[in-house]
Amino acid sequence: MTDTPLRDVGPAAAAGPASQIRRRRSRRMKALFPYLLVAPAVIYLLGITLYPGIYAIIQSFHAVKFGPWQPVGFDNYVRLMGDYQFWGALWNTFVIGSISLTLQCVLALILAFYAYRDPWVQGWRIVFLVPMLFMPSAVAFIYKLSFLDARVFSDLLQRIGLIDGNLAIQSSVWGSRALLILADVWQWTPFLFIIFVAALQGQDEEVEEAARLDGASWFSIFWNISLPLMKPVIAVALILRGIDITTMFTNVFIITKGGPAFGTETISYFIYRTGFKFFNFGYASAASVVMLILTIIIAQVVVKRAFVSARN
Amino acid sequence: MARIELQNVEKRWGAVVGVRDVDLDIADEELVVFLGPSGCGKTTTMRMIAGLEDPSEGEIRMDGEVMNEVDARDRDVAMVFQGYALYPNMTIYENIRFPLRMRDVPKADQDRLIREAAAMVELEDYLDRKPGALSGGQRQRAALARAIVRKPQVFLMDEPLSNLDAKLRQAMRVQIKHLQRQLRITTVYVTHDQIEAMTLADRIVVMAGGSIQQIGTPDQIYRDPANTFVAGFIGSPPMNLIEGRVEGGTFSAPGISVPGLSHAEGRAVTLGVRPEDCHVAEGAAHLTGHVYGIEPTGDMTYLTVKAGDKLIEVKADRDFRADLDTPQGVTFDMDRLYLFAGESGERIR
Repeated sequence: MTDTPLRDVGPAAAAGPASQIRRRRSRRMKALFPYLLVAPAVIYLLGITLYPGIYAIIQSFHAVKFGPWQPVGFDNYVRLMGDYQFWGALWNTFVIGSISLTLQCVLALILAFYAYRDPWVQGWRIVFLVPMLFMPSAVAFIYKLSFLDARVFSDLLQRIGLIDGNLAIQSSVWGSRALLILADVWQWTPFLFIIFVAALQGQDEEVEEAARLDGASWFSIFWNISLPLMKPVIAVALILRGIDITTMFTNVFIITKGGPAFGTETISYFIYRTGFKFFNFGYASAASVVMLILTIIIAQVVVKRAFVSARN
Repeated sequence: MARIELQNVEKRWGAVVGVRDVDLDIADEELVVFLGPSGCGKTTTMRMIAGLEDPSEGEIRMDGEVMNEVDARDRDVAMVFQGYALYPNMTIYENIRFPLRMRDVPKADQDRLIREAAAMVELEDYLDRKPGALSGGQRQRAALARAIVRKPQVFLMDEPLSNLDAKLRQAMRVQIKHLQRQLRITTVYVTHDQIEAMTLADRIVVMAGGSIQQIGTPDQIYRDPANTFVAGFIGSPPMNLIEGRVEGGTFSAPGISVPGLSHAEGRAVTLGVRPEDCHVAEGAAHLTGHVYGIEPTGDMTYLTVKAGDKLIEVKADRDFRADLDTPQGVTFDMDRLYLFAGESGERIR
């Protein structure tokens, strides 16, 4: 390059045709520009949520095996209402989910209560997130290898003489359920813990001191003041976790495969089995739609209750 | 209703000393104000009395009993916080009831006590509201009601009025003083506002840099300051402090010459004189300078005179007027001059 073209790129040149183009473009783009900015995110979101969602809803009104779709109206839904395996899966999801959620919530609250004013915890919050950072399938395999098929756990108990013979967790419905709960609690208590610690640390320290001078013990400060103020946070955390647990699949798929006797088959696993083992896609879609509706209703109720009581 | 004694109390955080060597004896039913600029250790000292901070050294006693190891909740101390610290999830009624509930006051008495306390601060109509629905002044009164409802041994107030506007502050000041007399509870009140201290206190404890500068009644503190810090902190506008030397019984500084001083001969000193003890000179003057500023407020006129590079405040008659930069003489009230040592700032008596 010589000096000649460079000389043209002065302020005078920029105020010439280039700015005219820019002005013309801005007039045309003014209305469109914000939409263009959010377009990638919207397309992505619609692509992974709305499109499959609508697809599933349409599919749920059809009998879909390998051939063309046969419209069947509400047949899939009617059949679902009478399917004891569907109801069983719903029940299992509820039992495993509610026990697991309660346990991890209580555990996280207790831990948060003991830790939140500790400077070490404030500095090293990230350490508590470690279980969450493991890949869920890896966690599931660890639990499978430790507890099932008379492996590590059973072996250790035998060697220290606590039990005779093998511990057959996978042959007991409640044993298998307990194992799923344990894995879930282990992996996700930190998530709730970190949220609760943040909520507690955000509360006004003066209010706690006032309560202390009013004669309240640590527990009654927590129970009467901190906990009620945390309600909205707890509600949001439980909804996030609740939705996660309702769709629990990885652990079931890897650890128990829904057994024994469908005792740990969750809704997600039921849908998977119906769709990808029996290739009954229409029926599986119907089950998904029912679950979606249930989740939305529950989340709505929880959010409404928690937020109303906190606001007034 | 308790006597509070602090003996050699010190608070350190690592190498940082927050409060050093505080000795203080607060009589039963007395209202003592801790006064000082922010960071002077007044709030920390109060928090140690409350039990919210542990002293690093020294002893805190209430009615002769050592309190160092006694938990805050067992000290029977009530505190009003700067940010009110009401429980946001409870109504005002429940807020006032909380200390009664925590101390197992019989249910039958609770309602009566709550209504009595609410009546004292004129809050009866707001008992069903939550703190968020009250104004600053109402919240302040709710915090007061919560503190007085259980008739504590000691009342602690940490800048309780600093979040209120000037008018409300004055009204609350009167109310607090009245309540304290009525309930006869030993009270420690922390503030950085010298007017609050002067108007409320039985005794003022002036603090700076973590240690006590002077303890005394408001009159003593005002009329007999122990050092330049106290002299300059109390009074509005504050005392004029002029650095100079005493030679041959005459204090001199640029533009200023005050004869007839019998002590501090040959020393570098700071001369202190309050604006109200300065007078516009008709003839001979202690100070000659130029009018730097003149501020009529209606009931008086604030005159600022520049002598050398020093600005001297004078409270002049309300009819006094002068043009800027005209020469102006000022005389001092010789009975009300204060001399402080140049280096240490301690009073020379």
